Amino acid sequence: MFVTDIRKEFYDVVVNQRVALLISSDIDALCACKILQALFHCDQVQYTLVPVTGWQDLGTAFLEHKEQFHYFVLVNCGANVDLLEMLQPDEDSVFFICDTHRPVDVINVYNDTQIKLLIKQDDDLGVPSYDDIFRDEDEEDGDDSGNESDLGSEPSGKRRRFDEGAVERRIDRQRARREWEARRREILFDYEQYEYHGTSAAMMLFELAWVLSKDTKDMLWWAIIGLTDQWVHDKITHMKYVTDIATMQRHVSRHNHRNEDEENSLSIDCMRISFEYDLRLTLYQHWSLYESICNSCYTSCNFKLWSLNGQKKLQEFLADMGLPLKQVRQKFNCMDISIKENLRDVIEESSNKYGMKDIRIQTFGVHFGFKNRFLASDVVHAAAALLESTEKDESASDTFIKALDCLSRSNLERLHLGIDLAKKKLIAIQQTVASCICTNLILSQGPFLYCYLMEGTPDVKLFSKPMALTLLCKYLLKAFVHSTRNKRCKLLPLIMAAPMDVEKGTVIVAGIPPESETSDKKNFFGRAFEKAAESTSSRTLHDHFDTSIIELKTEDRTKFLDALITLLS
Amino acid sequence: MPTKNVADDRISKFKNKGKDPAKLRDKRINECVELRKAHKDENFLKRRNITLSSLPDEEALSPDHVLDEKVNSLTIEDIIKEVNSDSRESQTRGCQAARKLLSRERNPPLKEIIDAGLLSRFVEFLGMDDEPTLQFEAAWALTNIASGTSWHTQQVVEHGAVPAFISLLASPLLHISEQAVWALGNIAGDGPAYRDALIDCHVIPALLARITPETPVGYLRNLTWTLSNLCRNKNPFPAVSAVQQMLPSLIQLLHLSDKDILSDACWAISYLTDGSNERIDVIVRTGIVPRLVALMGHEELSVLTPALRSIGNIVSGSDLQTQMVIDAGVLSVLPQVMRHPKASVQKEAAWALSNIAAGPCKQIQQVITCGLLPPLVELLRNGDFKTQREAVWAVTNFTSGGTVEQVVQLVQGGALEAIINLLQVKDAKTILVILDAINNIFMAAEKLGETEKLCLLVEELGGLDRIEMLQNHDNEMVYQAAHNLIEKFFNDDEIKELKVDTTDDAFVFQTSEAEKTFKF
Repeated sequence: MFVTDIRKEFYDVVVNQRVALLISSDIDALCACKILQALFHCDQVQYTLVPVTGWQDLGTAFLEHKEQFHYFVLVNCGANVDLLEMLQPDEDSVFFICDTHRPVDVINVYNDTQIKLLIKQDDDLGVPSYDDIFRDEDEEDGDDSGNESDLGSEPSGKRRRFDEGAVERRIDRQRARREWEARRREILFDYEQYEYHGTSAAMMLFELAWVLSKDTKDMLWWAIIGLTDQWVHDKITHMKYVTDIATMQRHVSRHNHRNEDEENSLSIDCMRISFEYDLRLTLYQHWSLYESICNSCYTSCNFKLWSLNGQKKLQEFLADMGLPLKQVRQKFNCMDISIKENLRDVIEESSNKYGMKDIRIQTFGVHFGFKNRFLASDVVHAAAALLESTEKDESASDTFIKALDCLSRSNLERLHLGIDLAKKKLIAIQQTVASCICTNLILSQGPFLYCYLMEGTPDVKLFSKPMALTLLCKYLLKAFVHSTRNKRCKLLPLIMAAPMDVEKGTVIVAGIPPESETSDKKNFFGRAFEKAAESTSSRTLHDHFDTSIIELKTEDRTKFLDALITLLS
Repeated sequence: MPTKNVADDRISKFKNKGKDPAKLRDKRINECVELRKAHKDENFLKRRNITLSSLPDEEALSPDHVLDEKVNSLTIEDIIKEVNSDSRESQTRGCQAARKLLSRERNPPLKEIIDAGLLSRFVEFLGMDDEPTLQFEAAWALTNIASGTSWHTQQVVEHGAVPAFISLLASPLLHISEQAVWALGNIAGDGPAYRDALIDCHVIPALLARITPETPVGYLRNLTWTLSNLCRNKNPFPAVSAVQQMLPSLIQLLHLSDKDILSDACWAISYLTDGSNERIDVIVRTGIVPRLVALMGHEELSVLTPALRSIGNIVSGSDLQTQMVIDAGVLSVLPQVMRHPKASVQKEAAWALSNIAAGPCKQIQQVITCGLLPPLVELLRNGDFKTQREAVWAVTNFTSGGTVEQVVQLVQGGALEAIINLLQVKDAKTILVILDAINNIFMAAEKLGETEKLCLLVEELGGLDRIEMLQNHDNEMVYQAAHNLIEKFFNDDEIKELKVDTTDDAFVFQTSEAEKTFKF
């Protein structure tokens, strides 16, 4: 069931209990986790933190903790499956689910005792009404068979003659039931067809903190990062992003106002959050402007930087802005103050000329003391790079802790490490996109585009991780849409496969919806993958919380794709 | 809804613009389904129209509709009062109210109506030829009471309903006559005693007289069912003279095309063939066997099942009777029936085949020639347990009556492997039958001097291990049979040696050697 009073129905319940926190591996979940941890610190709530990367992980984590805990908080996992069916918990286990995955499984919605959904109900949920999908079985009568014996069995020796009305009533009842069932299937099909995301978990929990009057600037910043994660990883529509940014801005104003008198006493450890209408140039304040332009999806796609022509256009663009190459290529920090002063306006002006009308975007920045300034997206990229780091052979929980740590302002060093990793990742993405476009690796399969990264491609290991692969998908599809002349192809979704585990012979497969300005970001690949796997009995593992990301045996790739093509065309 | 784009929303209101292709496709599919559904419903209605029997609609029966209102609210006390009154109108009203109570789906008050002492009145009403409505309502009410337990039926009979119903058969009003047919069917279906009582009251000629080319299908259905009840039940069987009386009409009905009529007529034949060879002979001599074989291939399960049962009964008779069935072409229909999706059909088919395989080797040869070995092996492998049990019987019968060559063909067809796999089942009886078959196969091999090769084959198929295991079986007889097989054919020392030889190239050995073993 949906929790309507998050304070009474959630926080007050767990505040004197021991709680198990099961946190999914994404940045929004990390932020939500930070907020919750901070709250629990305040109130000295005992908790155990368990990072979970997939359904199997979640199952194991539950089994390991179900003896000690009655209360489980699930962040960004659990809403979109019948959780009780999956975990088979005892009756006294209660699950609080704060998850952006939509659609929410109807069983979770209508379970009143064990499932508590920390999800805003105004969140465009479209849950079918109870009566449309559930029906009390009492109405069903056992004597449906009447005196009609089973076909092919010996006829009865005696038969009663019913009045016509009774027979017809029975037929009517059966027909009504069949119709109801058909309608139910239709409703559920419509409801479960697409996967999409709702309001950020970090924002939800920030709201809890606010309701409790325990919200701090740190929490607010985490909520902003959570929201920005949804934007960076393209999980929500632009409209939703702008709306939620506005919500966050109100909180930011409130906090800034509250601390106004302290403003003069800026100290080394103070924190200031500000609304920014800033550039869509990834990590540019921690890079050189030139490198940022080259490795930002927005500019790279608009210039088509993978082509010679594109490179030429970039030079023209820089000239148009009147920025000396030497300045542009050196670290942003070291650029002339005079250039930096009105840099954003200069860039915006030239960008407009080059057809990049929305080079600026509403976002937030933070100042830690005097020296350190970050945009929300900087932190998202850094944390994501740490979370999916492939540099050393670290366990999932190690990277989880590191990524979690980089969100604390006491741990700026780690954040900088993350930014360095993020740069490497972005360069890798950019190079992969360029090589895929230039060597025509994107194939139109009819109902969708398909791209397979072969074993041995540079940086292929990086893309065995779900977030990195999804980001690559988005960048690649944008680039493809900019580069192709085929109008039909521009409207197609994309499936990408990359080697996952060479020893096990598996690939990771991700599907994303078509690229468009007004895209509703709804993804139908989850269902399609399930069906294609079922019909071909391909060996797949649907372990990821996003159903549109699966693991597949390399040998089964062809038959799986064939089935998918048939299914979708 | 903050995430919806306003423009998008508007666009999607126009016909196909802005809708995504997947949604459109689903809509198309759904529309298609709707159309198909509507078409199907129409067909249902049509069928109902054709089959509409002489029984009129309920509304048409009520003298008037005003009366109807009152009728529905009558209690049993009211009904007693009405039925026992002198006014025809009240009697009709009461009788109809009683009939309605008895026709409702849940908990019809059979006993209450009987205890209210209404039966003698109802039987009395049956004789009122000048009051057809009353006659009809009473007939219906009594029909439903007779549909209850034996005690209920007994009450109806003991109130003298049988002669009344038999004379009602001759009623010029079809719906009344049909109701009498139905009531008599319920009485006949109670058991052999009432069945014979009806026959003694000359029910058969009265029923048969109603079969004319003009009789509606619905009427004929009821009549066929009643006839089938007159053929039903053993201990004792219905008198041969009665059967002889009914047979020409039953055979006539078997040549109609309505599936319900065919079904009940086939059931009648199946009851009549479920007896001694003399009983079977009565049926076979009518020349109906080819028609039954044809009906065995009927698409409707409700026809196929009793036809198959009848044929199965007949092939359990004498070799001569079986031969007549074979001559009618049963062996060319059987494979398809053995592959029927329904397990119960497969089981019956396997049972029929097991009886044919129990015949002389000439008939066994026909089984082979007509290609029944492959479906038999399929059933041994994949059938449900009951089917497998029958199929095992077929194998055992085959091996005990077949020539050496025929047994070799059976083994080559994969039957040995299949029955060896079945040695894992729990049922001791089935295991005994399988061991019997294996023993028979060894005897055939012995005649050829190929015992050793068969030993190897059985061992490779995992049979030896299983048979050895069976020596630990709880069942004494299984133990004995398994033990005997081992003693007789698997002489320890030699086997041990051979075992070493064979394991290396076991795979090659199994297939090629098997054929070599049984080359003649």
